[in-house]
Amino acid sequence: MILASSQSGQVNPDFSIGDGSSVTADGLMSKMLLRTTADIFFKRTPMGTFQIRKGLDIKLKGQAAKEIKTLPLSKTIAVAPCDYKGLKLRLSIKEGDAVKVGSQIFQDKFHPEIRILSPVSGRVAMIIRGEKRALLRVIIETDGKQEQESFKKFNEHEILGLSQKDVTTYLLEGGLWPVIRQRPFSKIANHRNHPKAVFIHAMNTEPLALDVDVLLDKKEKEFQLGLDILKHLTKGEVHLCIHARASAKALTEAKRVQIQRFSGPHPAGNVSTHIQYVDPINKGDVVWYVEAQDVLRVASLFMNGAYASERVVAITGEGAKNRYYARTCLGAPLSALVEDGGVNGLRYISGSVLTGKDVGKEGFLGFYDSQVTVIPEGGKREFLGWLSAGFNKFTVSKTFASAFLPEREVSLNTDKNGSDRAIVLNNIFDKYVALDIMTFFLLRAVISGDIEEAEKLGILECDEEDFALCTFACPSKTDVGEIMRSGLDLIEKEG
Amino acid sequence: MSFVEKILKGIGSNFEKGKPLEKLYPLYEALDTFILTPGKTTPKAPYIRDAVDLKRIMILVVLALIPATFMGILNTGYQILQAKDMAYDFGQALALGASKVIPIILVSYMAGGLWEVIFAVTRKHEINEGFLVTGILYALTLPPTIPLWQVAVGISFGVVFGKEIFGGTGMNVFNPALVARAFVFFAYPVSMSGSNAWVAVDGYTQATPLAVAAGTAKGSSVVEALNQAGFTLNNMFVGFIPGSIGETSALACIIGLAFLLITRVASWRTIAGCVLGLLTITSVFYLLRGPEKLAFFDLPPYWHLVMGGFAFGAVFMATDPVSSAATDTGRWIYGFFIGVLTGLIRVINPAYPEGMMLAILFMNAFAPLIDYFIVENHIKKRLARVTARKS
Repeated sequence: MILASSQSGQVNPDFSIGDGSSVTADGLMSKMLLRTTADIFFKRTPMGTFQIRKGLDIKLKGQAAKEIKTLPLSKTIAVAPCDYKGLKLRLSIKEGDAVKVGSQIFQDKFHPEIRILSPVSGRVAMIIRGEKRALLRVIIETDGKQEQESFKKFNEHEILGLSQKDVTTYLLEGGLWPVIRQRPFSKIANHRNHPKAVFIHAMNTEPLALDVDVLLDKKEKEFQLGLDILKHLTKGEVHLCIHARASAKALTEAKRVQIQRFSGPHPAGNVSTHIQYVDPINKGDVVWYVEAQDVLRVASLFMNGAYASERVVAITGEGAKNRYYARTCLGAPLSALVEDGGVNGLRYISGSVLTGKDVGKEGFLGFYDSQVTVIPEGGKREFLGWLSAGFNKFTVSKTFASAFLPEREVSLNTDKNGSDRAIVLNNIFDKYVALDIMTFFLLRAVISGDIEEAEKLGILECDEEDFALCTFACPSKTDVGEIMRSGLDLIEKEG
Repeated sequence: MSFVEKILKGIGSNFEKGKPLEKLYPLYEALDTFILTPGKTTPKAPYIRDAVDLKRIMILVVLALIPATFMGILNTGYQILQAKDMAYDFGQALALGASKVIPIILVSYMAGGLWEVIFAVTRKHEINEGFLVTGILYALTLPPTIPLWQVAVGISFGVVFGKEIFGGTGMNVFNPALVARAFVFFAYPVSMSGSNAWVAVDGYTQATPLAVAAGTAKGSSVVEALNQAGFTLNNMFVGFIPGSIGETSALACIIGLAFLLITRVASWRTIAGCVLGLLTITSVFYLLRGPEKLAFFDLPPYWHLVMGGFAFGAVFMATDPVSSAATDTGRWIYGFFIGVLTGLIRVINPAYPEGMMLAILFMNAFAPLIDYFIVENHIKKRLARVTARKS
């Protein structure tokens, strides 16, 4: 076996400019100037770091304290089909059934071997359906015993000797296949595909995101095992994408993977960014990606022979009274995680403010989420708002006085701050997209339904989340991400 | 709920579905969100949004136009006083100027606004704030003597044929304010050009600096001819010369420019491109100057920057993001050729003394093509990446 070096020394730092695309006279000049100045005045980042220059870090109030508190098992948890993109799920249980940790709740209609398992032991309390009887979620009442369904166990030596087929089989069996997602389309991977590489998403740059260093503290062994298991899934490389400042040994000393370091503002931590800089997707390619936290779960399944349902979640946002890292269970109710001090008018988001999901106070944690954000609701109408100097408004434009004040933590609510308009400022988007993409033109191609042009412009390398900052910054309040999503959906349907 | 909010709600109840004024809802919506911010919240991710909206952007452009409007009013009055051989008095000049200019601006806003409302109502969308800018931009490019009905006809043409038939705001190929101006320029040439148009006193003729420069005989000095007509570099910079209302003062345009650049509303690339283009072509002329050549060749290139509508056009017209190129590189090219064409039309073409309007409109038409080549180039590079990986 070839032991791939953990140094990604072959990465040419010259490649690491924010956009490889439009090199303009002024662009080139200012870039050269910037880089020389940066080299002189700032400590250079380690060799082989991809330095992302485009993007934006929104310094939102409400950072969580970096200590993990273990919470008692909540009374109920939910399993929601909508979390599993790309699957068409069928119920395997009915109300009143007793379940164990690892009992099958759903299975996929087209690939019945893809299973969704229960993270707790207890009783199926309720099956909630929406319009046209669509399954919304299954609520399970916990009994606190956490009895386990048992799966096959492996020791470290056995793990290194597994084949791709073995790993796939045990992941499907153990209910952990859904942690493996694919690009393009950001859906759950098809286990019959052969990915050209597997990316481990081990850094977050979204506002208030969970710090992977804290999560992986003293988890070197488990994490390495997880990586070794996932390594079997591809004939290509496993790329472990970490922050240039990452300190957890599990990350910096990982073996048999390519360590890729990234620095810079959000979206430096997005999967699309990692893929495009390390090994870009071309038409026909499939790349798989896994969250760092799920690597631990995979390891746990193989080592302990039990479905791992533990999840560490950062409780963040100024609406949350106590902000900390909670060790809890998959599908936990937000009410068990967040204490709001009885304040009304808050927005409860499973995930980050940029890409999360508004689940409400009574909602549940999403399958892939490692963060809960609670922010105040907006909607207060302001007298002659367009005329105000705006010392207290947050903008990335320079249209309010606050833009000229020193950078500081900001308090943002859910106000849209304007009405929907046609796009007028058409050149603001590229500043916030770290990919080699001409956002406005891609957007136009998608709006006009020109799939061919959209593909040529690289839509397959993108995901909705890559454009969250564009939507944030757009003065016409265009939902750029949603438009891109519709384009991807159309391509997937017709493809 | 505040007092104002209650009043607005009261008015709004007449515009709800099923109520008599239902059709005019966009009008109410515009008033409502003008007085109070819309107060809508984000339905899905991203849940937070930047404080800026299009209203704010458009208002900032209008604010940037205040110096030019003010200088336009003052200069219109100043020109009247001079034509009547009266002594200059600030207050009097301002009052006289306002009596000529304010009606033009109001008519432009009312006629343009009317069309906006008609289209918003029939197409059932909200009223776009863009007309706040279009309305005043157009008014400032007109001569102070223009009959008010022509103002109304022009802006109507501009809004309907310059913008709405392309699909409304954000879709237009040409700058609507310039389409409006071009329409009156070609439809009513007597009101828009010649030497009668520029000073709002009946029967008073006064040529603009560009007309003087174009009319200078071969072999004589164009700078001298301009100076003799009272057009020194200084007063052309400050703006006390005959010309279209808002275009005479390069100083006022520069103040507006500074504001637009500080707030980053306008693209500096477009403006830099315009200046570079004009200086390039006029430098070529300047190098070729001689007794056999047009006297206009002899004008030092930097004079061109303060003459005619160049400064106003470069700062406020060429920078319209919708009708200009949408790529950064494209904006350089787009601006550069506006400058070049302006210089060409001014110096070589005997028919029109001013070239800025036509140059911008011409380049508006070419902006999509410029972008097309840049996008194609980008696609080619992406394609090259694929083939490189396969081989």
